[in-house]
Formats: sequence, structure tokens, C-alpha cells
Amino acid sequence: MTSVANSPAPAAAKVTNPVSRDTRGSWIPNGAMIRTRIMELRKRRGLMAAMIVVNVGVPTIFLLVRIVAHIVAPKSYGPAGGYDIFSNLVVGIMYFFGFIVAATLGCTAGSVDLTDGMFRHLVITGRSRLALYLARIPAGLALIVPLVAAGFTIVCAVCVFAAPTKINYQGVPVPPGLSATGFNHWAESHPKEAVCGLPYNGPIGVQVPCFINGQGTVIIPRGTPGFKNISPATLKAEALRVAEQNYAAYQKLFLYPSVPLMIRTGLWIELEATIGFIVGLGLASLMGQRTVPVVLMIVLEVILTPVFSRTAIPHLINAQRGLVGLAMAHLEPSALPHGLGGGGGGPGGSTLVPESLTVGICVIVAWLVGWTALGAWRMVKRDA
Amino acid sequence: MSTHTIDDTSPSNVSESEWAVETHGLTKRFGDNVAVNDVELLVPRGCAFGYLGPNGAGKTTLIRVLLGLTRADAGTMSLLGVSVPRHRDRALARVGAIVDEPRFHGHLTGRQNLEILAAARERDARGRIDSSLERVGMAHRANDRVSKYSMGMRQRLGVAACLLGDPQLLILDEPMNGLDPAGMHEMRDMILSLVSEDRTVMLSSHLLDEVERTCDAVAIVDSGKVIRQGPISELLAGAAMEVHVGCSSPDRARSVLATSAFGEKIDVESTGLSIHLPSGTGKDAIAEINRLLVEDGIAVYHLEEVQVSLESWFLQVTSRLGENV
Repeated sequence: MTSVANSPAPAAAKVTNPVSRDTRGSWIPNGAMIRTRIMELRKRRGLMAAMIVVNVGVPTIFLLVRIVAHIVAPKSYGPAGGYDIFSNLVVGIMYFFGFIVAATLGCTAGSVDLTDGMFRHLVITGRSRLALYLARIPAGLALIVPLVAAGFTIVCAVCVFAAPTKINYQGVPVPPGLSATGFNHWAESHPKEAVCGLPYNGPIGVQVPCFINGQGTVIIPRGTPGFKNISPATLKAEALRVAEQNYAAYQKLFLYPSVPLMIRTGLWIELEATIGFIVGLGLASLMGQRTVPVVLMIVLEVILTPVFSRTAIPHLINAQRGLVGLAMAHLEPSALPHGLGGGGGGPGGSTLVPESLTVGICVIVAWLVGWTALGAWRMVKRDA
Repeated sequence: MSTHTIDDTSPSNVSESEWAVETHGLTKRFGDNVAVNDVELLVPRGCAFGYLGPNGAGKTTLIRVLLGLTRADAGTMSLLGVSVPRHRDRALARVGAIVDEPRFHGHLTGRQNLEILAAARERDARGRIDSSLERVGMAHRANDRVSKYSMGMRQRLGVAACLLGDPQLLILDEPMNGLDPAGMHEMRDMILSLVSEDRTVMLSSHLLDEVERTCDAVAIVDSGKVIRQGPISELLAGAAMEVHVGCSSPDRARSVLATSAFGEKIDVESTGLSIHLPSGTGKDAIAEINRLLVEDGIAVYHLEEVQVSLESWFLQVTSRLGENV
């Protein structure tokens, strides 16, 4: 090897000391890193449009159409809001699609530096690779959490302020929130509706072929005597018997979601979106690409979770309990319908693979920590 | 490799090292392929240093190892006197680099890309974005999306990214790639201006002509191994020499010289001879050729030593290596 001892005289050894308080070796990301990461994700128009459409657009348009329809034809279209609409929108759309969109965001955040060629530039800055990874978590959550909250707030507002004034119980319009006595009084004052519309288990003294139509009106077929031969006292007594048997089912109906239910539901779908983002981020970082992780996340949410949450396989039941979707289903507020087999009013109402609350929480924490650790490990070890 | 020693020297001699880059026994393998083979490299500070080699010689791999983009299997290395990878954060604080083709987030503007990179550096870096863009002549396109940039513009943006950290050492991997002649000229001027500010620029390239115009010293790498390094002038001084002789009777002149020490390789041309002399031949040989021809009655019209280019020397060196190996 030729020595370079006689090469041009090296410049006087002059190194500006690295700036004091330079914390680039720290694993904690700084605020500027998080802000610029938010900017990078926010500028992805297609992804942001999808997030806004799913989390805000779809519920808003759905509710808007219902509001307009109700205004135009109130007899044909019921009120836009109410408890039923709330639960269907939350469980049917916001929970599932919110997860998928959050997972897509996570997969994007976890892979774009690699696919766009920026990872190398970032590593060359000397910044801790762990900090580069961790900066993505608050950045992604800063986008997805407010969007989910915005969509959910709109749903809550419409469902509360545009709720129906009467509950439709078994097709019979009934005032909401009645006590047992109040419900009995209502039945006594609306005996025909009670007798013709409410179910009764057992023999009933009034044998009239009647029913309630879509507008809540009692219909008696032509050619039948109807209630002409029945005394008002008998009719009231029968209505009271029917009401007493139906009160237990009636009291579970709400006109609109209560504040505690809305808070619990909001936290539940935010947690679901957070899980989607964190798992997507870790998986994409591990695999170094976006497409396959997104597909895997959709498969997890749409196929694996529903199947393995409802069907207990004896030899695999502990593995099934490791599914984060099952744990989330067990956390579903009980006043919601059986969106995932969970919720729906507690014992006897659930078709889920059984799992204790403690185990469920542990599973969720393990998924969050585990995928973060895997993604960060791959980020630190990966050749740039 | 049995020895797995990524040794780390003490960082206490940060500013005392005279070398911007120093490696000893640096080795990087990919399976059975040794991409970087026991490299001993010393890049002096304050100069433009060329790292030359044919495609696949291991130039980019060495740079990636130096920058911590991939791990070395053996050896020691330091940047600006700070050992890496142990003190990688401190070492890279004053290093800027482009590795391979510079790529950025295409959906962001040039400025926004620099903001992301500045955020990962020290706080002062954020204040250097505008000046970096100005310096590489990209200020007027800074707010355009990178997806609309040409290759040359991305190269410039890559250099701007390097300048964010006020680097003492810039490592540029094939910086002339994709540049048109004017762009290459500008890049060359920029490199020279950076060197004039006491910065060290280490550039890898296979464009030997550009390196010869830009660099003060070079290292030649082949098959992962550094086979020569030093100042260009010194390296070329030891290269083989070619002498053009304009004379009256070229055929007779060749016969005269064929029996002398210079007869090993002589080409006859219409107006004279082209004599190839082995490396290490002194200038006295030219006078001796003249004397032999004149004594034999051949009129000598002119004698010209042809300057060996870095390119021809590079080919000599690498082909010789090939023969030896």
C-alpha cells in the first residue's frame, strides 16, 4: 500500500465541537422530528382522504341523508339520530373501517422512509434509529386520534340532538325512560296498542286479530268484530298483563346513547384505531414494505378475528385468547349490540370465546408493546 | 473471519487526528463475497479525496460501513478522529453524505424534505436550510415537489442535505451521476469551494477524468481491497511513461533502439516512434534515447513525454492487479 504520508498537508485539525445539548444519541425523539413526521404523513393526500372519508365522511353523509329524508318525508323516514343509529354506525362502520384505515396509516409510516429512500439520509444524521422509529408513534396518533374523535363527535351529536321522541318497541311507539308503573299506565291508556303490538307469552283473554302497522297504528282486519264485544275494563286488565311481561325488555331500550356510553364507546374505538396504527407500524417496519402488511391487517380484522373470536377450538383456545380482536370485543361496551359477538348486555348475550378482562387487557398491552419492540428492533438492525 | 473486532478507540482524541477518515483492517462480507477486504484507508483532512474503482469494487459498501448504514465484520474505523460505530452520533454530527442515488419523499417539496432531515440533526441545522438550498442553486425550486425534480436536481438536493450539518467531512458517492456537463462543472466547482473552506470531501467515482480534475489524492480499490492510495501527482509520477519521438527514419530508429534498454515496446508511426517505458523510468531516459538516435545519424525533430492520465494509470494498476491475482 502506498503511504499517503506526503499527501497534501491536512488542514489544521479543526472540528467544530458538536453543538452542546445535541441529543441525537438519545432514543427519545424531539418535537421537531414528530412535527415533521406529522407533516410527511399529512401531505399524503390519498391516505389522508381515505382517513377522512372513513372516519368523518361516511358517518356524516349517512346522517345527513337521514336528516334530509326525515325533513322531507317524516312519515316514511324516521329521525336521523337515536340509539339504534349510534350503535349501528359505531359498530358497523367506525370500529372496523377505523381499524383498517389506522392500520394503513401505520403501515405507511412504518415503511415509507425505506421505500422512498429517506431512511438512509436519516441514519446519516447520526440520530438514534430508535428515536427515528419512536417519532412515528406520536405523529401517527396525532393524526388518527383526532380524526376518529371528530367523526365520533359528529355521530354522537346527531344521535343525541336528532333522536326520536318515542321509542319504537316491537313496532309500537312508546315514550322512553318509563318506570314500571309508568309503563303500566301507558299500557292502560293505550290498551289496543299494547294488546295488538306487544308480545305475550301465554294465553290472553282478548282474542282479537289485530296488528300494528309501520306508522304505529292499530289495524283490525275488515269483517272482524274488533274490540266491540270487549269491555274497557277487560281490555285494560289484559293490557296491564302484557305490559308487566314486557317491561324487562323495554327498559333496555334507549332513546339516545347516554353520556357514559358515548364516553366508553369513544374510548373503545380510539383504542381500536390506536392498536391498528401501532401494529401496522411495527409490522411494516419489520417487513420493510407497505402492501403485504396492509393486506395482513385486513385479513386479521375481517377474517381471522371474527372467525376465531366466535368459534372455540379446544386445543387452540389459548392461542385464540391471544387475538387482540377478541380482547377488544370483550371490552366492547355492554350496551352496544353484538358487533363482534361482544357487548349486547352481558352474560348470556355474548357468543365470544371466553376471556377474563385481565387477560384481555394483558393481550392488548402485549400487542402494543410487542409490535413496537419488533418494529424498533428491525429499524435498529436493518441495513440502510 | 475469525477476528471479530470492531474496536473502538477512545474518543478523547477527537480533534487531534490528522485524518478525516481512518480505517484499519476493515472488512465486510456478504456471505462468501468479501465486499470490503481488509481496507487500510487514510483520508487526509482539508482535501478532495477520490475513492476510485470499477463497478462492483466495493466503493459504496465501504461508504455504507463508514456511515453506519451496515455493520463491519472486522476492523476499526474513525471519522474526524471519532471512532465509529461506538460514537456514531458524535462522529456523524459533522459528516454529510450521499450514498447511491439520492432519493427523497417525492410528495414533499425539497424544502420539506430538508426540514425532516434538519429535525433529526441539531437545532442549528434548521437555520441552515435556506443557505444550503442557495448554495446548491436550488432555492428557486425549493417549494416544488421532489417528484418533479430531475436527477441532477435531486443530486443537488442531496448535497444541500449534506450541508445542513455544517459538515467537516462530506462523503459523496458518485456525485456526478445523472448530471449534464454544466451540472458536472458546477458540482466540481462546489466541491472545490467546500475544500477551500477546510472541509474534506471524499468522493467515490468511476469517472476518472472528473476525479483527476477535482481531487488532490485518491485511493484505488479493486475487489474490495485498496491497492494504491496517495496524492495524484505522486502516484502518476511512478506510472509508466510514454515518449513520442519525431525523427527522419522511424524504421531505422526502431532498429537502433531495439537493441537498447528501451526496446521493450516501441510502436512505429508515420512521423516517428512511440516508446513505452516502464514505471520508475527517470527523465534521463529521454536524453539517452536522443543520444542513441543522433549517434546513429538519425535526425531527431522533437521528443515529447506524454503525460499519463489518471485513467491510463488506473487501467495499468487494475490490470496489473488482475495479472498478479
